[in-house]
Amino acid sequence: MNTILKVDNANVYYGAIHAIKGISFEVNEGEIVTLIGANGAGKTTTLQTVSGLLRSKTGSIEFCGEDISRVQAHKIVEKGLAQVPEGRRIFAQMTVQENLEMGAYTSPADMDKNLERVFEQFPRLKERRRQIGGTLSGGEQQMLAMGRALMCSPKLMMLDEPSMGLAPILVEQIFDIIKSLHENGTTILLVEQNAQMALSVADRAYVMETGKITLSGTGKELAASEAVKKAYLGG
Amino acid sequence: MGFLSYLISGISLGSVYAIIALGYTMVYGIAKMLNFAHGDVIMIGGYMSFCGMMYLGVNGWLALALAMVVCTVLGILIEGLAYRPLRQAASLAVLITAIGVSYFLQNSALLIFGATPKVYQPLIPLMNAAGEPNALKLFGGQLSISYISLFTMLSCIVIMIALTWFTGHTKLGKAMRACSEDKDAARLMGISVDKTISLTFAIGSALAAVAGVLLCSFNPTLMPTTGSMPGIRAFTAAVFGGIGSIPGALLGGLLIGIIEAMAKAYISTQLANSVVFAVLIVVLLVRPAGLLGKRMTEKV
Repeated sequence: MNTILKVDNANVYYGAIHAIKGISFEVNEGEIVTLIGANGAGKTTTLQTVSGLLRSKTGSIEFCGEDISRVQAHKIVEKGLAQVPEGRRIFAQMTVQENLEMGAYTSPADMDKNLERVFEQFPRLKERRRQIGGTLSGGEQQMLAMGRALMCSPKLMMLDEPSMGLAPILVEQIFDIIKSLHENGTTILLVEQNAQMALSVADRAYVMETGKITLSGTGKELAASEAVKKAYLGG
Repeated sequence: MGFLSYLISGISLGSVYAIIALGYTMVYGIAKMLNFAHGDVIMIGGYMSFCGMMYLGVNGWLALALAMVVCTVLGILIEGLAYRPLRQAASLAVLITAIGVSYFLQNSALLIFGATPKVYQPLIPLMNAAGEPNALKLFGGQLSISYISLFTMLSCIVIMIALTWFTGHTKLGKAMRACSEDKDAARLMGISVDKTISLTFAIGSALAAVAGVLLCSFNPTLMPTTGSMPGIRAFTAAVFGGIGSIPGALLGGLLIGIIEAMAKAYISTQLANSVVFAVLIVVLLVRPAGLLGKRMTEKV
């Protein structure tokens, strides 16, 4: 299996606060890898560092064999790494269609093809394509955020808390979509607080605590681990 | 007829304010900063077209094009040199820098062109070769609208339509809207936020050059402080209409122009500014976001 993303010894600071303390992990082509951990463990910071919104002081971040740790965020997207940010962050005053067009900003040539694919995956978005993004429901906004990221045909898609704030039935639906994206060959790095759901779909998982990776293994191993059960799965 | 002619002069003045207000509102929308140097870019536009006509001997239209090019470059330079390094800084630091840039431009103009007002050659002369006013006569000559007024209103309409089309239908224009909503999300789409902000300054400054030429065509004395007061009134117009909103800039500009013209005609020339700002205060008390300010409710 090819390693698509390899983070080596990343250290991230917010001013004087040392948020990420020398973490290393990797994602292989075709995998779903999840980072789980409590609020404030540094999961979102990790994703933002990979996508270039934040910078690591040390180490390297290799994407498809190329060091991207000093590349600007908007150029990283061009290389095929898409992030669905925490809280969805759709453009609330733009239409569904315009949001998706923004997703295709780096690959306008494939826009029609990708638009068709996204509408196939999310028929609801097709129905609402002329609607303003901010008027969608939470679940629909999550779908829009995911569809928007898919518009650049990413090699790796990073999802930050896709289940946040959604009703259980919608969480199920979002995870079904994640599984089907995976079956269609998209590599996924998933950050979740809902550890149970995340571990049930993940090939491999890392547990983060206060800026460090404390445990790693396959999804099944971690779901069975006593420490994880106690800390994240409610006993 | 008096009322109608005041109204028309208010609308043409307001059209200039609207063109200036667009620069404030677009920059505010995307960079979330008040570019107080914008008024002085108007003045530079005035001087550049003056120099074009005076020293290069080109006609007014070519001089306008020259002013637009110079101001576009100037806008990009101001943004890149003064504001970009402060992107992460506190907004107060940016505000003070903007005021600094404003004084820098005024004093540079003072140094280069001196304090003596220059007599500006209007883009469309007020009189034609035969000594008759260059104006459209209506109602058997009772109401006359100068061609420069007509041209100003027309430019304002054309600019508004062009910008609305640009932000609604082009890739760059949509990227601009995306950046003004959420810069990090825009970055994650592959949009270069720095380039988009540069583009916004470029457009705003080119419009400031147009406004400078129009302003000097109405009021043909050009001084280093020429841009200040219109700049402040246009800023008021942007806030009045709802800062960040393009239709708001148009509405705010026209209303400020009309209020100013009516106040001058029916109240007192000296009190015109007070009336304009008093209306602003009342509007902001009632509608803090401005007349067309964005206040969309958003589901989360």
